[in-house]
Amino acid sequence: MIFDVIERSLRQPNCLIPVEALLGNCDGSRMPDVLSERLTLAIGQRVAEACPTGAFSIEEREGRPCLRLSYGECIACGRCVDVGEGAVVTAKQFTRCGLMKEELVRRWDLDGHAEITPVPSNPDVVRGQIHSLFGKALNIRELDAGSCNGCEAEISALTNPYYDLERFGIHFVASPKHADMLLVTGPVTRNMVGAVRATYEAVPAPRLVVAVGACGCSGGIFAGSHAVVGAVDAVIPVDGYVPGCPPTPAMLVTGILEVLRRRVAK
Amino acid sequence: MTHEETKSTPGRMDKNHAAELAITLPPTKDGALARLVTLFASLGPNRKKLIHYVFDAGEPNYQEIVLPSDGPIRSISLRVPAAAWYERELHDQYGVEVAGHPDLRPLVFHENWPDGVYPMVDAVEGVPWSNRVYYFLEVQGEGVAEVAVGPVHAGIIEPGHFRFSVVGDTVLNLELRHFYTHKGTEKLFEGSSLTEGTMIAESVSGDNCFAHAVAYSQAVENACSTGVPPRASAIRLIGLELERLVSHISDVGGLCTDVGFSVAAAYAMRVKESLLQASAQCCGTRYWRTITVPGGLRANLDSGKLLDLSREVADAAREFSNLAHLILTTPSIQSRFETAGVLRSDVARDLAVVGPVARSSGIDLDVRRDHPYGYYDSVQFEVPVTHYGDVMARAKIRIEEAAISARLIQELARALPAGDVLLPIHSQGEVQGTSAVESPRGELYYWLEALDGRLTRCHIKSPSFQNWPAIPFAVVGNVIADFPLINKSFNLSYSGCDR
Repeated sequence: MIFDVIERSLRQPNCLIPVEALLGNCDGSRMPDVLSERLTLAIGQRVAEACPTGAFSIEEREGRPCLRLSYGECIACGRCVDVGEGAVVTAKQFTRCGLMKEELVRRWDLDGHAEITPVPSNPDVVRGQIHSLFGKALNIRELDAGSCNGCEAEISALTNPYYDLERFGIHFVASPKHADMLLVTGPVTRNMVGAVRATYEAVPAPRLVVAVGACGCSGGIFAGSHAVVGAVDAVIPVDGYVPGCPPTPAMLVTGILEVLRRRVAK
Repeated sequence: MTHEETKSTPGRMDKNHAAELAITLPPTKDGALARLVTLFASLGPNRKKLIHYVFDAGEPNYQEIVLPSDGPIRSISLRVPAAAWYERELHDQYGVEVAGHPDLRPLVFHENWPDGVYPMVDAVEGVPWSNRVYYFLEVQGEGVAEVAVGPVHAGIIEPGHFRFSVVGDTVLNLELRHFYTHKGTEKLFEGSSLTEGTMIAESVSGDNCFAHAVAYSQAVENACSTGVPPRASAIRLIGLELERLVSHISDVGGLCTDVGFSVAAAYAMRVKESLLQASAQCCGTRYWRTITVPGGLRANLDSGKLLDLSREVADAAREFSNLAHLILTTPSIQSRFETAGVLRSDVARDLAVVGPVARSSGIDLDVRRDHPYGYYDSVQFEVPVTHYGDVMARAKIRIEEAAISARLIQELARALPAGDVLLPIHSQGEVQGTSAVESPRGELYYWLEALDGRLTRCHIKSPSFQNWPAIPFAVVGNVIADFPLINKSFNLSYSGCDR
């Protein structure tokens, strides 16, 4: 019987997704994108009003109104797409994973119909570096600081035969003492603060911390709750953020890769 | 041996029978006590506390008893052990004094929360940090050792603490300490609009987000006396059954992981992922987040795409059923699954356990059949029940249910009603609504109250909150190394329990 399972499994077609197809892929994440040529002041205001977490907001820069989108706060509810009259759409590509918090923010000049934030690094440039980055082993310890388990479900998917992180030498380890990187999900709850700090302290330096999901990046929908302390960076230092609610496995791969890339570039 | 019987605790109240308010426990038709569904409080006029007891007496409608209370209430935990955690939660969140409760230690709030601050009643800005004491039950005697596990576990799991007392490998007692992921969710609902509430409901337990979203939406529809277009209802059924299918496949894979059968586990995870990707193709979201809102669905889904999804479901179900058959006939798996973690039927009944766990311990209970909602009136399905109560029984029940869910999805995808999917919601004045859904983990019950379109209270009875107290009873007497397996076979959500 046990061999039947193995045999059946071996007969299955290979479903591994090549890493090139994962970078920037955000299918199923519902993250928003803005088409600046269609953007108007009225649409910007409506979008900011519809956003439940304040990820979209209107601000003044050098006397001109501009639309601000902070992906770290976005719970991908799609309300902006509903009211955006085609100027706000569901993203087809999403590369703002694993960046620093300020790089998760985009701004559009509402008078000039143009984006005024730098475009993130092109995944094509990164592609050549993948092998050198992933050639070495990386041990990751996942830490749930109070999430709803949506991010856990997607992180567990990283080890399935479609994504198979092990192929890059990336392992999920049981002890923080064996880890190089902490992947932290959820808003940090009052009841988890102590455990989050202790886990961070147990990871030997040099260590990397990646905050995962809207809650990990900003507190998400739970920001301001009496039982929640805040985002991950309210408790421990963070080296990169992966937004999304929850981020898809492809976004997590993109994010982990980007944090490593920046680390190597240093 | 229960926690409750062993020793008095600091929170214990003096017995003062005269002053306490109590309810009469409703019976079922055959004279047994009705099953407790949930127990919670709300604030009535003049912020007077109202205690709500919800029972299932075997009728299509749930029975709700409301007890207005300014003073102490009489605990029902000794007669209805299922009420024990609910009464502790009342005490923590509302400061309700529960007289005669055998164990009133803090449940939801840990050492860091100050005594005397009740977030559902008091202001919660800037609550100071505290360092109060918490006592675990100590098992004494020669050779008894304590093993503390968590809150941070080895693996990609949610946080929670388990305190085992063992002699050698055998577990004598297991005490749970949860609520590490308590996020004050029920409080967050207060003041949000009826449509915004869906997003909070979706974040109660991420892997069951669709069941939560539907249960919440139905409660709002119930409060506003709005119907849902048949097409929306039917698509919700597809989503709910898909969520069950995904969850059950994932659980069986998880059980294989926990006995070291990694090939089968990887196989199950592959089947699961194929369904998630098919969902993303069909409706743009892997876990059916943001699909439903009060009144129906946010956007119509394409019938052709739903048919594509149902074809993927057919493939996945066929593969899974073959795989499951092989797993269950593998002798080394049988020897690990059989007789491990038995939850006796009487214990399950006392603790009012729900979902696949109840159905594996001889309790014939399924909200879809007993309290039909949405489109479930219009479809035919069986409810598998078995009485062994061990890991094998829980695995088999899930495998059978997965096949039924897959069949329902395929049947409905071929015969979807046409038409719109959203009706407007109008809410004026004070309204109350309830709803129940059979989530993959069991009965999910929402109770909400709104004033002029803004929520004033939303209570969530989560199946995990109900089932967690049963785990120690299934674990005691087993070897400690079987704990992960037994725990996985219950598949409880920490976040759903802690909220």
